[in-house]
Amino acid sequence: MRLLAALGVTVLGVTAVAAQQPLAARLAGRVPAGVVVAVTALADSAAARGLPVDPLVEKAIEGGAKGASPERIVVAVQTVLTRLGRAQVALQAATPGVPPADAVEAGAFALSAGLQDANVQEVARACGPQCSAAEALRVAGTLTALGVPPAEAVELVRQTLRSGGKERDVLALPGRVEAEVAGGATPAQAAAGLARAAAARAAAPGQSGAPPHGRPPPRHP
Amino acid sequence: MTTVFHPLVKRFLDGELNLADLPPELHAEARAAERLLGAVDRAPVTLPAALDARVMSEVRRRASAPARRWWQRLAEPWEIRVRLRPWILGPALAAAAVLVLILARSQPPVPAVAVAAAPESVYVRFVLYAPGAHRVSVAGTFNQWDATTAPLAPAGAAGVWATTVALPVGQHQYAFLVDGRRWVNDPAAPMVDDGFGRRNSVVAVTAGAAGARAL
Repeated sequence: MRLLAALGVTVLGVTAVAAQQPLAARLAGRVPAGVVVAVTALADSAAARGLPVDPLVEKAIEGGAKGASPERIVVAVQTVLTRLGRAQVALQAATPGVPPADAVEAGAFALSAGLQDANVQEVARACGPQCSAAEALRVAGTLTALGVPPAEAVELVRQTLRSGGKERDVLALPGRVEAEVAGGATPAQAAAGLARAAAARAAAPGQSGAPPHGRPPPRHP
Repeated sequence: MTTVFHPLVKRFLDGELNLADLPPELHAEARAAERLLGAVDRAPVTLPAALDARVMSEVRRRASAPARRWWQRLAEPWEIRVRLRPWILGPALAAAAVLVLILARSQPPVPAVAVAAAPESVYVRFVLYAPGAHRVSVAGTFNQWDATTAPLAPAGAAGVWATTVALPVGQHQYAFLVDGRRWVNDPAAPMVDDGFGRRNSVVAVTAGAAGARAL
């Protein structure tokens, strides 16, 4: 019995070490050893909270590739962890159940692009079951990264969904904003105009959510 | 013809007994045996003169080929004897399970930059105007920020560098690395803070798209 117990403990221990190995293996040679230890601890914390771990590893690797100091890498990884946590809380407040990892990641991206926690909640609520919260959040974040103020970005996504727009219509929004900007509008003006058009379609029964003469999104980059 | 000698005669031949130690009736047999043995010892063994040279030549040839020795070690079957006690099976199975787990978890990630686009990948063309650059590559979350995997090549017009990369569906952050030391954003793409005092470009790849588009 003692032998079995010892074996069980050994196997569990080896399994725990094995579970950490891929993370350390991914970081090995890419970041200083001290960063590996710190990121592993942060990853443990993230996993314990049900947060995705990959964004932390990717940020650490990015820091190593860019020659950032170990302290700066750890701070950047901590920032990502904080954003993931904020996104998770915002999503939990907006929708029932455990938010999927991709939505949490997208929420963290949206926060990094400039959205606030409340904006993340709004997008998730507007999305509901009809679309992927992850995609909607990525779109809102990308709109903000393009220069659209967060409130306008959220409003554009919300109005597009409210007008019956499908996921592809939401995905096309950044391209449509870029096209308007190329035509001389500011990002805010472009987003506001598209949101008004979507609101008008929502007010008019029987209209599709898709724009009547939507231009194809530009190839990018 | 087989000759069976008396055991005492055999001991005599082995040098354990003297002739005087044998009973008189065995003296004749002992002498005959001694004669026979002496005849055998004296019979010369004649071998072909070239045999020795041939054998040694072959030995030297085989001994001087390490690759051959290694190949033989690899190709020839090994005899391995395993003796198991029944109680060892439990730990052995547990160890095997752990090994499988480790191997499964240690599988290298699928490279983001593939030779051929997987079903859920889309070819994306990256273009940068970098006059005077000697070397340009693109690195991002899709290739673990490894700047060696996606180099750009001069593309027609002077200073224009380009490459096409198969990216998995999803959102990616990236930047160009110029001359191996200068990180440059894509001016045609949205940008976000990278946490290191710079900014990353953002590209989103959607399923079914003919190319990537700003999501």
